[in-house]
Amino acid sequence: MASRVLVRCVRSLARPSARLCPVNATVRAAAAPLPLNRRSFSLLSCSQRTRQTDQTRVPGSLVQLCRQYGDLPPLTLESIKDRVMYVLKLYDKVNPENLQVTSHFIKDLGLDSLDQVEIIMAMEDEFGFEIPDSEAEKLMSPEEIVQYIADKKDVYE
Amino acid sequence: MATSSKSQVLSLYRMLMKESKKFPSYNYRTYALRRIRDAFRENRTVSDPKAVETLLNRAWDSLAVIQRQVSIGKLYTAQKTVVEDRGAKATD
Repeated sequence: MASRVLVRCVRSLARPSARLCPVNATVRAAAAPLPLNRRSFSLLSCSQRTRQTDQTRVPGSLVQLCRQYGDLPPLTLESIKDRVMYVLKLYDKVNPENLQVTSHFIKDLGLDSLDQVEIIMAMEDEFGFEIPDSEAEKLMSPEEIVQYIADKKDVYE
Repeated sequence: MATSSKSQVLSLYRMLMKESKKFPSYNYRTYALRRIRDAFRENRTVSDPKAVETLLNRAWDSLAVIQRQVSIGKLYTAQKTVVEDRGAKATD
């Protein structure tokens, strides 16, 4: 951040001085490529805020360059539920026709405790976090899983 | 089977599955996962505490072997097989 501010200050200083003293043409020619290089570099690494300022300064298609890290749609209860049900439908021992949000894995779907462990592991893979053993054994229906994940991911509605 | 040993068995199952998923080689990975599933299902009705104990000990030994082989496998990785090249992530 500090280096970015520094670069911007240097650039704004270099500009008027180059414009104010057009006497030394060689100095200007030598200095001109430098801000250009810097500009394209800072464009690559600029954040949303500085991109706004650069957009006013730099015309052209270079502005389109931007990075988006970790750009996932935010989780909602609905999307968590959809993903949980999707994972369950893909699990070969679950019959998708019998699957309800409230159905108990062992009583309603006829699975055993080993299957339940595998389902929880599939959920860990899907949502990318670990569910400890003590919590995992309590999750016995899709709605409980949804509730647990929503709690862990701070989704409230 | 007593409840304490039930949760013990389940956590052992979980550990074995998790460890086996780390095999870099497709063949070992799928074999290990399949073998663990089958072995646990095969012995689900065992109620004799002695027999359960021996089976559990065998599972612990297998876990150690799997852990060792996973790290060895990571040292000497081979090219990916054709079947797993298509999907970016091979789950099982």
